[in-house]
Amino acid sequence: MPGDGTQALGKGSCPPGPVPEGLIRIYSMRFCPYSHRTRLVLRAKGIRHEIININLRNKPEWYYTKHPFGQIPVLETSQCQLIYESVIACEYLDDAYPGRKLFPCDPYERARQKMLLELFCKVPQLTKECLIALRCRRDCTDLKIALRQEFCNLEKILDYQNTTFFGGDCISMIDYLLWPWFERLDVYGIADCVSHTPGLRLWVSAMKQDPTVCALLTDKGIFQGYLSLYFRNNPNAFDYGLC
Amino acid sequence: MSGVSARSLAKGSAAPGPVPEGLIRVYSMRFCPFAERTLLVLKAKGIRHEVININLKNKPEWFFKKNPAGLVPVLENSKGQLICESAITCEYLDEAYPGKKLLPGDPYEKACQKMVFELFSKVLTNKKTTFFGGNSVSMIDYLVWPWFERLEALELNECVDHTPKLKLWMAAMREDPAVSALLLDVKALKGFIDLYLQNSPEACDYGL
Repeated sequence: MPGDGTQALGKGSCPPGPVPEGLIRIYSMRFCPYSHRTRLVLRAKGIRHEIININLRNKPEWYYTKHPFGQIPVLETSQCQLIYESVIACEYLDDAYPGRKLFPCDPYERARQKMLLELFCKVPQLTKECLIALRCRRDCTDLKIALRQEFCNLEKILDYQNTTFFGGDCISMIDYLLWPWFERLDVYGIADCVSHTPGLRLWVSAMKQDPTVCALLTDKGIFQGYLSLYFRNNPNAFDYGLC
Repeated sequence: MSGVSARSLAKGSAAPGPVPEGLIRVYSMRFCPFAERTLLVLKAKGIRHEVININLKNKPEWFFKKNPAGLVPVLENSKGQLICESAITCEYLDEAYPGKKLLPGDPYEKACQKMVFELFSKVLTNKKTTFFGGNSVSMIDYLVWPWFERLEALELNECVDHTPKLKLWMAAMREDPAVSALLLDVKALKGFIDLYLQNSPEACDYGL
């Protein structure tokens, strides 16, 4: 199966054909945290898949037939079924594919993971706002305070549970669902937001030792190159680092 | 099933005891649409349960131990496990209890239901702009307004904690000239519904 290293398709590109039997397709973008969640699950479960990267600043017209608002990620099966919203896509993969289950079997433990996801829900928007503020050289003190508060809430959970991962002593779905934003803290310039949360820092270290997380880790230099081009509105940003 | 019509517990009330074996408890409020979701699922699956209504305008201190956010619905079982968020409670009940499954078994069909729910939730929470289409009234606001107008006319708005943006949108809509010109009179609406339910041919002309 190809790596994530394919050029992003933009306006004027040909619509891809149907998905071959035995594969599932993900419409993605190499640096998108939401797509990252779904790619983590695909990898963790060893699901054979193909990746089509989309140029988010210059979306192909045909892409709106895959998602009404042209968002990613979207899964497409060989039966032409489309699944969107990153969490729904992750849950679908866990349900539909055999092998290692990432969500726990116990209904209460499943509910707990979903409640944890709710607890996390302000983090994506806050990290994005911090990134934009820093890039536009605006003050982001208040944003960082708010982000630290959200991290405190997550720290309390780890502290109370006294476990390495959010789902227990082994990595599970909830950890993969949260990870993409923590991987980006450093390159976004806000790594100091975990300075007061030792449990979270330990979790980050443990996550970096997970084979799935490692396999999909993006090189910091490449990510920074992407961000520089993105903030200069360069349409080639999405392909930065591809040979 | 006890408690559905019981008076709500407020500040100063004693915390309820543990949930008896064989029952599940839901902390609710009689007019809250989110809590109603959970009650519907409990009923549809025939799950033995008890209801404790919470006074959302004067919350008991002990309730924040059940849900730090202080919102209903919350499920509590006899093991003391607590589940919050209406959609999560509903899915938990479907998974934990036997009998008729409300969510489809097929992974794709289940995903489809969740995708529709996400779209619906976006209507309810409308995070981004004042109006559904942007910063001024447009077609989509007029298309959805009649349902929200009726919801508000028929229920007490006790669950504004969940949907502050929606409350703001409704207030903004009332300022719109077209909306205010056609605003339903609550008494007339209730009168209409009474007659309508009795199959009266006079229903449609109520108040004229």
